[in-house]
Amino acid sequence: MATIAREVVDKQRQLKPPTLKAMIAERDRLTAETGHYCGVTELTLRDSDPIKYERFYAKLHAAVLAARESARFVAASPGSREMGECLWGIATPEGDTLAVSLGFLSHTVIFPTSIRYMADNDYDVNDGIEDGDVFAVSDGLTGGVPHPGDFYSFVPICVDGEVVAWAIGINHLMENGAPVAGSWATFSVDTFMDGLVCPPMRTGRKLKQESWWRAIWERRTRAATMNILDDKMRLAGCAMIHAATHALIEEFGMDYYKRAIREVIEESRRMVVDNMRSTLVPGTYNGCAFRLVKYKGLQNVWSHADKNTLIHVRGSLEPNENGVLLDAEGSSKWGYHSYNATPGGVDCAVFLGMINSFSHNTKVTAGIDLAVQRNYPRGSIYNPDNEYTSNANLWAQTVALNSLCFGAVSRAMFSRGYLEEAFTVDGNWGAFQGAGTTADGTNYGFTNFEWLGGTGRGAWCYKDGEPLVWAAWSQMATIGDAEEFESTVPPLFYLGRKLLPGYFGYGKYRGGPGNSAVHWCVEPGRHVALTRPNGGLSCTPSVGIGMSGAYPGPGSFMISARGTNLDKLIEQGETPRDARELLEMIDDEKLAVKKLEVWKTDCPELALKDNDLFVDAAGSSGGWGDPLDRDPAAVVADLNDGMCPNYAFVSDMHGVIATQDADGNWVLDAAATDARREALRAARLAESVPVADWWQEERPRVVAQDFVPEVREMYAQSLTFDKFQREFAGFWQLPGDFAFAEESSDE
Amino acid sequence: MSTSASSASGERDFILALDAGGTMTDAILVKPDGTFTVGKSISRREQPEISYRESVADAAQMLGLDSSDVHRRCAADIYTGTGMLNSVLTGEGRKVGLLVTRGFEDISLMEGGLTYLGQSQAEGLHQQLHRHTRPLVEPRNVLGVSERMGGGCYQGNVHLPAGHTLIPVNEAQVRRHVETLLDRGCEVIGILFLYSFVDARHEHQARDIAQQVVAARGLDVPVVCSADVAPVAKENNRLKSLLFQCFAAEQVRESLLGVEREAHGLGFSGRLLTLLSYGGAVNMEYPRLYETMISGPIGGLIGAQFVAGELGLDNVVTADMGGTSFDVGLIVEGRIGIAKSADIAGHRLALPMVELDSAGNGAGSVVWVDEYKRLHVGPESAGAKVGICHEYDRLTVTDINVALGYVDPDYFLGGHIKLDRERALAALKEAVADPLGLDVYEAGAGVLGIINAEMNDLLRTMVAAKGYDTHDFTLLYYGGAGPVHMYGFAEGIPFKDVITLPWAAGFSAFGAACAEYMHRYDRGLRVLIPHGAGDAEMTATAREIDTAWRELEAEARAEMQAEGIDPDRIRFRYGVSARYIGQIESFDTALPTGEMRGPDDIRAMIDAFETMYSKVYPEGAKFSGAGYSLTEVNLEAIAPKPQPVLARHELAGEEPAPDAFVGTREVFHKDRWLPFTVYEMAELQPGNVVHGPAIIRDPMTTVVIPPGHEMALDALRILHYRAAPATQ
Repeated sequence: MATIAREVVDKQRQLKPPTLKAMIAERDRLTAETGHYCGVTELTLRDSDPIKYERFYAKLHAAVLAARESARFVAASPGSREMGECLWGIATPEGDTLAVSLGFLSHTVIFPTSIRYMADNDYDVNDGIEDGDVFAVSDGLTGGVPHPGDFYSFVPICVDGEVVAWAIGINHLMENGAPVAGSWATFSVDTFMDGLVCPPMRTGRKLKQESWWRAIWERRTRAATMNILDDKMRLAGCAMIHAATHALIEEFGMDYYKRAIREVIEESRRMVVDNMRSTLVPGTYNGCAFRLVKYKGLQNVWSHADKNTLIHVRGSLEPNENGVLLDAEGSSKWGYHSYNATPGGVDCAVFLGMINSFSHNTKVTAGIDLAVQRNYPRGSIYNPDNEYTSNANLWAQTVALNSLCFGAVSRAMFSRGYLEEAFTVDGNWGAFQGAGTTADGTNYGFTNFEWLGGTGRGAWCYKDGEPLVWAAWSQMATIGDAEEFESTVPPLFYLGRKLLPGYFGYGKYRGGPGNSAVHWCVEPGRHVALTRPNGGLSCTPSVGIGMSGAYPGPGSFMISARGTNLDKLIEQGETPRDARELLEMIDDEKLAVKKLEVWKTDCPELALKDNDLFVDAAGSSGGWGDPLDRDPAAVVADLNDGMCPNYAFVSDMHGVIATQDADGNWVLDAAATDARREALRAARLAESVPVADWWQEERPRVVAQDFVPEVREMYAQSLTFDKFQREFAGFWQLPGDFAFAEESSDE
Repeated sequence: MSTSASSASGERDFILALDAGGTMTDAILVKPDGTFTVGKSISRREQPEISYRESVADAAQMLGLDSSDVHRRCAADIYTGTGMLNSVLTGEGRKVGLLVTRGFEDISLMEGGLTYLGQSQAEGLHQQLHRHTRPLVEPRNVLGVSERMGGGCYQGNVHLPAGHTLIPVNEAQVRRHVETLLDRGCEVIGILFLYSFVDARHEHQARDIAQQVVAARGLDVPVVCSADVAPVAKENNRLKSLLFQCFAAEQVRESLLGVEREAHGLGFSGRLLTLLSYGGAVNMEYPRLYETMISGPIGGLIGAQFVAGELGLDNVVTADMGGTSFDVGLIVEGRIGIAKSADIAGHRLALPMVELDSAGNGAGSVVWVDEYKRLHVGPESAGAKVGICHEYDRLTVTDINVALGYVDPDYFLGGHIKLDRERALAALKEAVADPLGLDVYEAGAGVLGIINAEMNDLLRTMVAAKGYDTHDFTLLYYGGAGPVHMYGFAEGIPFKDVITLPWAAGFSAFGAACAEYMHRYDRGLRVLIPHGAGDAEMTATAREIDTAWRELEAEARAEMQAEGIDPDRIRFRYGVSARYIGQIESFDTALPTGEMRGPDDIRAMIDAFETMYSKVYPEGAKFSGAGYSLTEVNLEAIAPKPQPVLARHELAGEEPAPDAFVGTREVFHKDRWLPFTVYEMAELQPGNVVHGPAIIRDPMTTVVIPPGHEMALDALRILHYRAAPATQ
């Protein structure tokens, strides 16, 4: 009897669904032991009946594609409806991606973070996870979310009490309730200033949000209506995936489903690794970028944040047998600013290039996650050893890390001979955000995403780049419509939305030009003010150096022109249309401005009055090859179509001599051009010094640590990481224990 | 050459519908009993009127008539073509000059950044390869005019109202720029100002000045405003509509009028009609002719709407499987679903277009297996070359149907084309079976299983994603390959009925003949109905909507009268586009009446919106507390036009006549060889029931009836597919 009873108890135990914690542990063990996802060494379902297997995946994929195409119409924010700032996916019980829709795809790699957190904290034990529950997540540490402006909805799909999948929806909010209004808090000392930060938390049941959740949006954000609708949008898509997955399991059976989801991921892992092996030349591809954080003097409340910081972004890529290794060792430490990341956030950035380069001919699953090994050293800006760091504006520097890694892929493919895949990678995005109160007391918050929606694409090794064809974060370049964005900010009106002439990296082939918009303030009511987060600002330059002797894309910038005589220009029909024209008008004394500020770093909040102008520029991209090798006819064509309007500059840059005919058209002087180029090349040689001489001259400065405080601090932080210390000390032939004294930049 | 008695009697009982494709110009001649004959001719791009004449003559001679006989007896003549699309694709259009709001001079180069239109996810992901489309206007001929109009804001009436002039039109600039554009030889001038959909005053002011400048030079250069072409929000889409109209539509109009002259010369006394991309027919005077750019897929849906009307069906889902794709459309409560924008040749237009979901599964789609043993279907298609069994060099879906016995290699196009089954079989083995390690027939059946399942999924999701239940829908399938694959794509979906017609292969052309004479008008609005709005507020809103409808009705009457329509015979259908305040997307909401007088009418409109929204999205996606925003009113104006008739016949017995029996054929169906009984479509009689496994052959298609199912012909010769009684 006792034996029988024990068997019954054992059977009941077996019938009890495994916990998430157990499932994750089992996945990790099997994957580690075998080197194959969940121990799937043979693709038995695929090999025994490939047709059924593909049909299974087609249905899974169709579910997420359909979710996006239907649900995004519920959205309020132009970023989600008009642009690529949303995504739906389906994941395994452990959070590993099985299929994703169009949209910002790299978020797929961070799904497991939330699930692991919920598992580690026994969400499924106390008080349980049920089919159709709704969990909200926007925390970087516990959810891996890049920044709180991105909001996730997780919906568990359960069968017989067991979590068998997750439907996930994500989008970028218009406003997330931080002290700095908008969706990227440009000034934030720690996570408590990041806005609405949610660790994984249940907000709804049975595919419906609970009533209290609406109050959170209404009381803790400045664009409640839009955020509520976006929340509904995410949930609507998840509900569709939820229904489709249940139907799928019913059709194929649970046993097939459970095996197939493992094979799908293992299969795509193998394909990604194959892609990496077949397109990259092995080696180590290093890169660096720098991002200035100008907090000094912005406030006098948080003394520990009253300093400027130069963020050192270091990234290297090394192809290996199992895929590639991305290593960010040597990057700066975290700080009391909003530019920190968490491992999830930085994954989200660097996988932009990985998915784009290696997943486009595969099933987009967690397979790529397994093929990319990462090293984000503890204590660094990418893996803070402080749980309260702010990550609200991480994109302003992590996009440079992505550019480094993506650019490394481009260089490796170029080296292998895949010329059509090789181009100058950049991600020079911009946006502006803020809040206001109209004359009747109506409050509103806003974000204008337009220059996040699309940028120029850098030059190829055989042709010029193009304008507005690139969006590394979504693959869907879309800047939306001025008529939609303008409607979100009552007192701001467009006076221009253009390409910015000459705003690209010069080279044998030039980059695609960036963009510029002019916003005009009319009757601001009680108050309107804005700030501007972005990934190209004071990031000098994103990719460190240009490709094959070209110039990188110029950084983004903005202009506030307050107290203008715009009425007079309106009468003349000559309002400024872009940043360049605005500055020229000021130089020509056509436009009078009482307070002109050109911001090449982050700006404090800018309050605007009647006839004030806010002008931004972003989205430039880099060139490829020596500018002196550019076809002179192409230089003249750029002069004649206005793409490069400044002859003196262009002539110096490319060594091209041209004259204007009676109609004002530029005509090439070929002989003079040849002579000019020869002279410029000779001048280059004359100005150059041997590297050894330069090294001798610079080394004493390094030994003496003779740098401005921000650079000293940057080196001090980077040198605490072994890899960078070895490289740095080795290059400068310094003692093995060489270190910079860590000191505050405000001393 | 025949001079029939009917012709002498003066009856006008034929309907002509022509589709001038890139290669062939097809003519469908619908006879008084609803049946039709088909004519073909080679498409002559430079002389479409000759192709028209030859194609009609070809159809007419099948009845022993000539082209003049047909034209004299023709009640309606509908002509669709690809002239405008060709113009855009080849860049051969009018030289356009464009006036835009100052500061937006690069809008045609930037095109909103949209460089992924029409791409699959795999193509979209490979972003390195994205490109801009070729602009339809030279960048230097886009000139900015100082002007600004405000469009209002989402927050409601808290700032300057929509339609507020921020900067008046700089008239001197308009004059100067128009002179410049004329100096540069521009043949048409377009005007696009921000928010002209809210208020067209600025655009019209500039247009009047431009027309004065043009007139002063004695030129015939049209001036076209975006507000008159597509008066809806989103300047990038509006621009593309404007450019299509300027670049392509006007020159195609001349060509179409040439075809009409040909028809008149042959004795036709009415107006030649063409199809709008959202259904309905218009004549060649229609001002927004660019709306006829894509009319190919429309015919089938119009035909389905007609059949639904004849049979009293409210809800129909259409499945059209042709050579290159499988297209699914919906008719809900008698109306065709319309999408608010259309992606055409890499451009996104503010063009209403029938809503279709497509999969790249056509009979000519190429079937291949990649190095990872993944099976792919399409996107390449053999087109008229059919497959490796005919003139193509890669395996196609038709090859597999031939190899497995579904399609008779000796009866393709009635036997005019002989297909090579052995080559198809060999290709199936080499391209699919061997790489996957499968038996050749099992591989073929497996491929068809996948294709059919994908189409099956598309059918399910098209209905389910809109919030509908397939139990309430009749599936109407057509296209040359529709009847071949119906058994698979309809499998397991609980439709109310599953039907086709004997002329399924030519159903789209038949549908063109069924089109209503119809115009659609959309008018942008910015009207808010806040949560808890009072009666006074609602009354004011009702007045605004009512005024807009009355204005659109007047515009419709004037336009249609100019096209020769009796205004007293015009009837209207009404709708609005609405959303919750804050949403970006608006949703078309059909309304039963055009009466909008007070709060009750507004409440009824809100109820209609909520009902529509609830069908599409789950309860959690509703947000009634936000209030409502009306962004457009729309109006469809319909005038009478001769229609085909579905002739009713006496019912014969269930057993097909011996003449209908052709023989039996072995078919590898799913997992085994089965003997399929073969019947001749033309010999089947109304009332006959064909039991599966069977095939009904026709020169234009093959109807496959699997075991356990049957096909019954009703009095209208409509074929009803159903489970055989024994298996019910």
